[in-house]
Amino acid sequence: MLLQEMRKTALQVFFVLLTIGAFAFLAPSPAAAQPKGEPIKIGWIAELSGTWSFFGATGLTAAQIAEEEINAKGGVLGRPLQVVPMDNRTDPAQAASAARMLDTQHKVLTFSGPTSSDTALAVYGYAEQNQVPFVVPVAAFPRLTRPGTQWTFRVEPDAVGWGYAIVKFVEKMKPGASIALIYSDFALQRAIVAGIKYQAERSGIKIATDIIFPQNATDATVQAAQVKSKNPDFVFVSGGGAFDVTLTNQILDLGIKPEQIIHPFGAVKMILGWGQRSVGSYYGTFFDHSLGGLNDYGKGLISKFTKRAGYIPAYIENFCYATVYLIKEALEKAGTADRTKFRDAMRNINTKEVTTGIPMVFDKNGARKEYMYFLQMKEVGKDTYQSKEAFYIEWDPEVIPVYQLAP
Amino acid sequence: MTLENILLNGMAVITTGLIVGAIFSLVAAGVTIMYGTIWFPNASNGQFFMLAALLMWSLVVNWGLSPFLGAVVVIVGSIPFSLVLEKFLVRPFYNVPNRNIVYFIMTLGLAQIFAGAFTGTYGRWSDQFSLPAAWPGAILLGPFPFPRTRLLVLVIALTLLAGLFVFLRLHRVGRALRAVFQNREAAILRGVDVRRIYRFSFVLAMLVITMGGVLFAMAYGFDLTMAWTMAIIGFAIMIVGGPGSVLGSVVIGMIFGFTQAVVSLFASPTLAAFSYLVVMLIILLVKPSGLFAR
Repeated sequence: MLLQEMRKTALQVFFVLLTIGAFAFLAPSPAAAQPKGEPIKIGWIAELSGTWSFFGATGLTAAQIAEEEINAKGGVLGRPLQVVPMDNRTDPAQAASAARMLDTQHKVLTFSGPTSSDTALAVYGYAEQNQVPFVVPVAAFPRLTRPGTQWTFRVEPDAVGWGYAIVKFVEKMKPGASIALIYSDFALQRAIVAGIKYQAERSGIKIATDIIFPQNATDATVQAAQVKSKNPDFVFVSGGGAFDVTLTNQILDLGIKPEQIIHPFGAVKMILGWGQRSVGSYYGTFFDHSLGGLNDYGKGLISKFTKRAGYIPAYIENFCYATVYLIKEALEKAGTADRTKFRDAMRNINTKEVTTGIPMVFDKNGARKEYMYFLQMKEVGKDTYQSKEAFYIEWDPEVIPVYQLAP
Repeated sequence: MTLENILLNGMAVITTGLIVGAIFSLVAAGVTIMYGTIWFPNASNGQFFMLAALLMWSLVVNWGLSPFLGAVVVIVGSIPFSLVLEKFLVRPFYNVPNRNIVYFIMTLGLAQIFAGAFTGTYGRWSDQFSLPAAWPGAILLGPFPFPRTRLLVLVIALTLLAGLFVFLRLHRVGRALRAVFQNREAAILRGVDVRRIYRFSFVLAMLVITMGGVLFAMAYGFDLTMAWTMAIIGFAIMIVGGPGSVLGSVVIGMIFGFTQAVVSLFASPTLAAFSYLVVMLIILLVKPSGLFAR
């Protein structure tokens, strides 16, 4: 009898819960009106295959998280926001062709997406010529915002400026220090080194040696020995692709201490690749899960991205995510999906990066007010790491003559 | 420059020349065995090299195997894989006239397929791959700290090359294989089962290339671009050493390795990257058929 009563009560409770659950599921959310009408499209021209496919794919994942969040909260101007991905195959010609297709067939509001300066420059050419707005999330080549630029905006600080920031960091650590430069021959690294050399002269920092590797280098033992022979205070280390890990390891093998090593940038896979033995070394970045002061968007990006991709996001993913939010905000300011009005809204925007609260303002050429963090590695595990902020700097894009220094 | 720095730089050149040269030699030996015996110019050798390195990375980093066990699994696994490839992609063309052209076009296609597959899978997981040290720490050679893992890689690579050389010179099957290298018809008349030797050479060559990939992954970080670099180097060494000559592959592999190390010390790493091509041109001008061509 008692058993029957209990079963009856349990069934009643179950049906009540089921009914409440069904209502909760079916009832419209009061906070988010569903966006209606034609979507406003962002043509996302990314490296989804080819040499840079990792960066293109990881950036797209972050952009899609932003797209979903925005649409879940009502879209923009009452319409859905749509990221339309198109593969540029890490090929500038293909990037230009993708831009044409997105412009003429998909009628996108703006281009975005490239994570490589080479493909971004190809899109830049099309965007400027055909008057299509272009918001570059992750490409640091200064020429993307050279004087006279009308339709392009670069979210990532320019690479020559990174060099400026590195010297300022070294100057703070040890005034009058010497630094050895050892890096791969990519446009990005050359631009950074141009900034280092320019600012080093003015900051009283000595360049102990300057060693460039070709793009397909595999071994750096001989050069690591050369660096060791010069006995510098710091070593700027930046190899291309997997060579970066080899270069770092071989520098450490020869007895350079981790605390002497400065990497200009640190994406997650790079930091994990440097490994536990690099703990103590420094890297530049613009976003890192180890940073304090991340807001709810920043924390949300980290948790959602990690769940989806299986690894923690860093600055590349953050720039792609923040770019979609930036486009949304500019659209709201423009009040319309008209390209010219959107471009004008971008020019006048004065906001903060959605994840970090760092200012987002563009100069007349579309270059962002620049900033950089330097973090020191504290711990590295198999899938994650911890670092600590060592230095932060903000500067005006043209505090040094970036457009003359850029190779 | 102090004596210590001279020693430091000298040891760096010697160890780099030996390691790079030994790995180049292994890959080129695989390429030359395949070409010399079966007349199989394998344009996908770099992708097979890459496949070995990537599988090694998966086993060690994702599955948590020790680098030694991972190496054994990849190397042993390459044998059935090679037998399947031989049966379905190589054997059907044994009787085709000018089969070298067919093989070349086919392996070019295969290389594209592998490159696409790697980009679509591994390329989306990371842009760089590196293994934990198989034998952590370093030993001091004078002032030069030589990482133990690289020493191990060097010893294994040199042992493998020596073993391969001895096998081809002294073992009955090795001699039969060389007989097919030198004169196919004469080998048939002497009772050599050429089909079996073809199959054996393909598997042996794949094994050697796989070992090259595994050792490279143990010694260096790598990314997907390495496949094409290694494919070109493998062919260049084979042409300069003399197609079909394993001794040529070893000697030229070492010359290329040391040329790169010395030029990078006295000039720059950028010039070093092209230096072996200059050496190649000089040797070919002196001996157009290759240094050890028969």
